[in-house]
Amino acid sequence: MSMITPSSRGKGSLKGGARKNENNRIYAFPLPLLFVEPPSRLRSVLGLLGLSLTEVVNPHCEGVFDPITRSVWVTGARDTMLLWQRGFFGKGDLSRSEPSWLARQINIRKAGGKQITSEEVTAKRRAERRQFKLDRAAAIAAVAAEAEAIFEAEGRVIKPALSGPGIPSAATWRPSSSLTKISATPSPEEDVEPAELEPLVDVEHLQLTLQEAFFLAWGLDCLTVLDPHTNEAMTLKQLWTVFQVAHLPPSIPPNPAPPLQFDNPFLINYVIYHHYRSLGWVVKGGIKFCVDYLLYKRGPVFTHAEFAMVVCPVYEDIEDQKASSLELQNTTPFAWSWLSTINRVNSQVQKTLILVYVTIPARSRLSPSILDSPACLEHYSVREVTLRRFIPARMRD
Amino acid sequence: MDDEHPPPAQVPADEDDPQSSGDEDDGGLDWTNLPGVARPVIPKRGEKDFEPKAGGGSGLQIHVLDSARSAMFDTLRTTRTISSKAISYAVWYPNLGRTHVTLAKGIHFSAMGHSAPRPVVDENGFEKIQKRLELLPEETIHLVERGSLFCWKDTGMDLTKMQTEMSGAPMTVQQVYAEMLGVEDLTLERLQVYTYLKRLGYSVMRTNPPTPYYPTPPPWPSQNSQVATSSSSHSVLRRMFSSFSVWIYNIFSKPFDWWQPLRMSRWLHHDKNYGHKVALHHPDIIKRLEMKNNSPYQIFYNLYKPSTPIKRSAPPLPDFQVVVINARTTPMPTLQELTDLFDVLPELPPPLPRIRRPLPVLTATPPPASAVAASLPVHPTFKSSSQPPAVQNKLLFIQRLFPWAFSLTQPTEPIRRPHPFMALKAGKKLIVIAVVDSGSISFFRFGQGEFTEWPMA
Repeated sequence: MSMITPSSRGKGSLKGGARKNENNRIYAFPLPLLFVEPPSRLRSVLGLLGLSLTEVVNPHCEGVFDPITRSVWVTGARDTMLLWQRGFFGKGDLSRSEPSWLARQINIRKAGGKQITSEEVTAKRRAERRQFKLDRAAAIAAVAAEAEAIFEAEGRVIKPALSGPGIPSAATWRPSSSLTKISATPSPEEDVEPAELEPLVDVEHLQLTLQEAFFLAWGLDCLTVLDPHTNEAMTLKQLWTVFQVAHLPPSIPPNPAPPLQFDNPFLINYVIYHHYRSLGWVVKGGIKFCVDYLLYKRGPVFTHAEFAMVVCPVYEDIEDQKASSLELQNTTPFAWSWLSTINRVNSQVQKTLILVYVTIPARSRLSPSILDSPACLEHYSVREVTLRRFIPARMRD
Repeated sequence: MDDEHPPPAQVPADEDDPQSSGDEDDGGLDWTNLPGVARPVIPKRGEKDFEPKAGGGSGLQIHVLDSARSAMFDTLRTTRTISSKAISYAVWYPNLGRTHVTLAKGIHFSAMGHSAPRPVVDENGFEKIQKRLELLPEETIHLVERGSLFCWKDTGMDLTKMQTEMSGAPMTVQQVYAEMLGVEDLTLERLQVYTYLKRLGYSVMRTNPPTPYYPTPPPWPSQNSQVATSSSSHSVLRRMFSSFSVWIYNIFSKPFDWWQPLRMSRWLHHDKNYGHKVALHHPDIIKRLEMKNNSPYQIFYNLYKPSTPIKRSAPPLPDFQVVVINARTTPMPTLQELTDLFDVLPELPPPLPRIRRPLPVLTATPPPASAVAASLPVHPTFKSSSQPPAVQNKLLFIQRLFPWAFSLTQPTEPIRRPHPFMALKAGKKLIVIAVVDSGSISFFRFGQGEFTEWPMA
């Protein structure tokens, strides 16, 4: 839900189909680049020959590289909104996903918050669910006490019901009026002193991971990354080297051009990011579900993620792994208990677990100088293995 | 989420088997269906309370718990019987590693056992080859344990002169276990998986025949025959056109510049082809072959669903193939091991959506964009969503000029196309890995994913 674009009606008041149309309108473009079509008659004539005169509109966004957090910061409001709305790149550093800190501050100041951000929706939903669970537990305890009394009095055994007419279920429970009263009380206090507040300055920025930044800069050519010290635009070659060096352990004395390695986490993650982005998926981080990446079909605002990816790098040559100074996660096949854990966590949220095996080329096969340009990417391969449980009792027919 | 399956139908208790479990395995045995000599009245167990009340549980909770516990113990205590008309007899030959069934009764042997030719000395002293019914060790243990087989151990003595055919007492269950575990590649984990699946009704046979006369299913149909090589004019022209356009493209394009991968070209693009099709490199071939042969990840069992009719001598193609491993000693499969397993498996068609009556479901998804005549090809392939699904892409340039020369058949019934998510979740090849952890078995389906076949753009 977008807060910053002004709309005549608040987003929270739209229901169902209207909100879907609103989302379709705001998030209409899957990438920051826009393709402007020529008039349709000309298009159909050229289409016969397989040509097109489509123009490409490039927004030219800017960001600053931050080596400490290994990310690229985008601070301009126009660039931030553009990158988020067209392709869901990045994450607001003071928000859950979309940079909505400013909107939330405005909501807190204004009485009654006409536009509700996603963080506030989540907070409200959690409070309601806690209340529902308390109500349900009380109802179940009452039924059990009743059955107990009957057993002691008459010796008749009744099974206390866990669901039924007297006990609230998720479908029938409605929040009681006490909850809505609590949220309304802070507002009268705000109205007392509006004049003493300072004007709000947006201190939030959009944070892009190195993979997203490189994809935008190299793959789409719509992002310029500035050096944090000199404020100059970095060339692609500089970006490529600097992003890799950011993941290497620092050397003493500081070496501006340390030897590059094939198993750099930036390279492995970039191969995967680029692969799935180019297939049309929206790739976001998956730390919430114990995995590395989540794949969304159109974006987080439309549906929940369908696939959860765990990255398993595979060294072609085992000697490379022993000699490496980096320790990558999941290179040795993990234990079944951990695999079952991740699988169960993701089954609970209706996602399918996918193991993505990325092969790291052997140093004996390629020379390390190939790492100076993205040409090395063609030597990595990506394979997927889907993982699901098999329940023989249910698969009989 | 595991696939949405319809809830399991109640399997009717078989009158011939005294120990069939009538309920689905997840809910535990339904004690009311088991016969007993003196059948105790068993109350059905209800749902568990969350926790006992403070002070050791309330009166009602203790009462319910005690009655359920005593019902279970009483049922276990009853003597199990089997009708003498239903029992089979067999003799275990330790040197052969097989049991020879002398008298076979019951429905088990339609899917169990195999016929083996053995030399037999007949009355005149000549040796002839006779075929007889033999069981593998795991089949024997399973039948003895459920009480439908009496098994004697072969003593090697010549019994033709004696009155009785068998001598001594039949082997006890403990003796059967002790003798047969470890014989013919049978480990405790494999036995546990075997008995679990047999109890559920599946037919389980070995994948690698231990002897040449063990029945094996026919080999998987080769992949080449499945590719539709229609020689109609439609596809010939299409192939000609696509190769022509690739040739033109190669003439006019510069070699690929890695620093400028994105080129807004108005011509055609190439398909990426890395992934499962690219072979895995390995620096040392000999070591790799050695690891492949020693790896614990070998397919062991062929699984047939209960509804599949099995002819014992010529089993059909298996529904699933199972690898059995021990959770504590064997880690997850490496990519190499998985690739070796997938190499021998066939490709499966994408799963179709379930038929919903009365209206047939048409899950129409725009098919992956063809390379020919795409209106905006870019090097990494994507389209903006504002473009309508271009159905006219399918018509070739020549076909549009001369529509009367080509007859396109219209589909007469609504097409059921697979949903991309279902196809992606199922994968192209399927292997079931049974992970046994001291008796608890978890089954995992590892599928070979193919995301490049179902792009989202």
